[in-house]
Amino acid sequence: MSGSLVYSAASSLRFSEVTSLPQPKINRSRNGTAKFPTGARSFKASAQTLNAEPYVTESVRRRVSSLYELLKVNETASLTEIKTAYRSLAKVHHPDASESDGRDFMEIHKAYATLADPTTRAIYDSTLGFRRRRVHAGAMGRPAGRVYTSTRRWETDQCW
Amino acid sequence: MAEQEYTVASDSENTGEEKSSSSPPPSLPEIAVGIDIGTSQCSIAVWNGSQVNILRNTRNQKLIKSFVTFKDEVPSGGVTNQLSHDQEMLTGASIFNMKRLIGRVDTDPVVHAAKNLPFMVQTLDIGVRPFIAALVNNAWRSTTPEEVLAIFLVELRLMAETSLKRAVRNVVLTVPVSFSRFQLTRIERACAMAGLHVLRLMPEPTAIALLYAQQQQMTSHDNMGSGSERLAVIFNMGAGYCDVAVTATAGGVSQIKSLAGNAIGGEDILQNMMRHIAPQPQEASSSSTAALRVATQDAIHKLSSEDNAQIEVGDKISKVLDRSEFEEVNEEVFKECERLVTQCLRDARVEGCDIDDVIMVGGCSCIPRVREVVKKVCKKDEVYGGVNALEGAVRGAALEGAVTSGIHDPFGSLDLLTIQATALAVGVRGNGNRFVTVIPRNTMVPARKDLFFTTVNDGQKEALVVVYEGEGGESVEENHLLGYFKIVGIPEAGRGVPEINVCMDIDASNALRVFAAVLMPGCSSPVVPVVEVRMPTVDDGHGWCAQALNAKFGSALDLVTLQRKM
Repeated sequence: MSGSLVYSAASSLRFSEVTSLPQPKINRSRNGTAKFPTGARSFKASAQTLNAEPYVTESVRRRVSSLYELLKVNETASLTEIKTAYRSLAKVHHPDASESDGRDFMEIHKAYATLADPTTRAIYDSTLGFRRRRVHAGAMGRPAGRVYTSTRRWETDQCW
Repeated sequence: MAEQEYTVASDSENTGEEKSSSSPPPSLPEIAVGIDIGTSQCSIAVWNGSQVNILRNTRNQKLIKSFVTFKDEVPSGGVTNQLSHDQEMLTGASIFNMKRLIGRVDTDPVVHAAKNLPFMVQTLDIGVRPFIAALVNNAWRSTTPEEVLAIFLVELRLMAETSLKRAVRNVVLTVPVSFSRFQLTRIERACAMAGLHVLRLMPEPTAIALLYAQQQQMTSHDNMGSGSERLAVIFNMGAGYCDVAVTATAGGVSQIKSLAGNAIGGEDILQNMMRHIAPQPQEASSSSTAALRVATQDAIHKLSSEDNAQIEVGDKISKVLDRSEFEEVNEEVFKECERLVTQCLRDARVEGCDIDDVIMVGGCSCIPRVREVVKKVCKKDEVYGGVNALEGAVRGAALEGAVTSGIHDPFGSLDLLTIQATALAVGVRGNGNRFVTVIPRNTMVPARKDLFFTTVNDGQKEALVVVYEGEGGESVEENHLLGYFKIVGIPEAGRGVPEINVCMDIDASNALRVFAAVLMPGCSSPVVPVVEVRMPTVDDGHGWCAQALNAKFGSALDLVTLQRKM
């Protein structure tokens, strides 16, 4: 009822969190959104908007460093694994299934939309670049979730 | 018991309170009932703890004719009123086809087609609500589609309360895909008048999709985790509307990939045939027209299983109709069915050969030609047999009612989820008279998207945000006006300098909110308070407000999309 109203008024604007650049336009382009084809922009929202993501503070967004981690899948996950992970997470985070307001689920869906399309996934992977090994190692250190496949892959093999 | 909090319900005439996406208090979860309000028939169902149970009226009917008869003081609907024969509904005293009329203006071709019905549908063709009246004791008694629907829903509600031995308040209703948000508010209005609280308005094929997801989950429990995804086309054609959806289903989750729909259905087929059989127009409320309507309807039903059908009306008309003749007369209708399925597949970015199942429901799905057309486009030889053509929608709605009410089933039968998509695009007027899409069609719900606009005039201090919804036609006139508001207090600056951020948010219960903020270069927070408006705000359904705004302000308060610097 009134909750949704309060929520939007208080949280839709976190402009103060924006990095203190004087020129918003420059800021947006620096965020890298414009450089990618349309599909790829979904994983990096521009900071200055009402749609800004920073206030997805709660559960999902803050503690992840990659879309793979968000979906709790391996970076080498197949499309089927990604889809299965997406659906499992949807059952937990979709507003119909939980008390959540849908923000978490929107992030999950964005991650899914990016990773389910081979083109946008490739672009995203290239932006991961140097972080890849570190992220991957971090992900492997976590306890395996139910959507996690435990098979050995070439990365794991190379570790030892 | 905790003291009840005193809160002011938001001033929404439709529900009296905001649609809530959360479940009711855990102490006594009331299971929402599912209602399928069809153009010709309605049904009501509820999750009984282990399965969906379709409720029956006192005459043991599951499918109840949608009509309300006005006579004497108390109008009575199809739930309680037993017709001795079909023609009794056609004397002018009964209003039916409410779903074709609700929320439409008198320039709408669908309203014009309804002028052939026995009750009064008067149009002035100026874009306002049509005048609708029933013939009672030789006088025309005025009513509205909302009122008629509300009377019918009250009867349905009482029937359900008797049957379930509890109060019924929360409902999930199925609605056509092509309904505008304004039409949806009219449905909510009718529900509010009937004392019902709408939890969800589900596009009809998505209710079928949920039922299908449950069936898939039950039959393939073993490979749930494997993610084997089934793509299904759902084709739903009843008396008033034709709807199509493409859904990807696995593990009890049904994700709607695309939706398409149009106000075309059995009523059009019936009227085409009536015109074909008796080309000279007759008095719509005359008994011969009523007899012709009943006889034609029977013949159409017969042609679904036989090659020809005899029509006899009084001593004037005696004719044998064959199926090819029937198909020729309704060629346009079948072409539209084909177009909708093709469009839906294209929007979902799937080919016919990717489709695992074709599900066909609704009365018109029995027509052989319709089945042929849909099977051809989907490149399938068989139609999925697991869904009852007339009960699927209400069963799906009842499932959604249970899921949305937070009911859990120990056997996992309710471990279900529909991920909805928007049936129509929403956007604002900008770049002259253009419709600038903010949230496109077939976007996953919940959704939140934004766009940047700027002023068109130097020193422009105010801007109008005019919100439209539609299939995404380029000019605003091709879309429905949902509402408008003014942004004030824009700092004086050259045109193109202020940045106006328009954000749209659709939550899981499909409520749309529009936000607007004014930003200036060099300032990282909005310069004036953000405006938030729940849409639709128009309460009349016509586009006159847009014309009035245009006449008053011209392009003085216009917006253009902001070209981003690379």
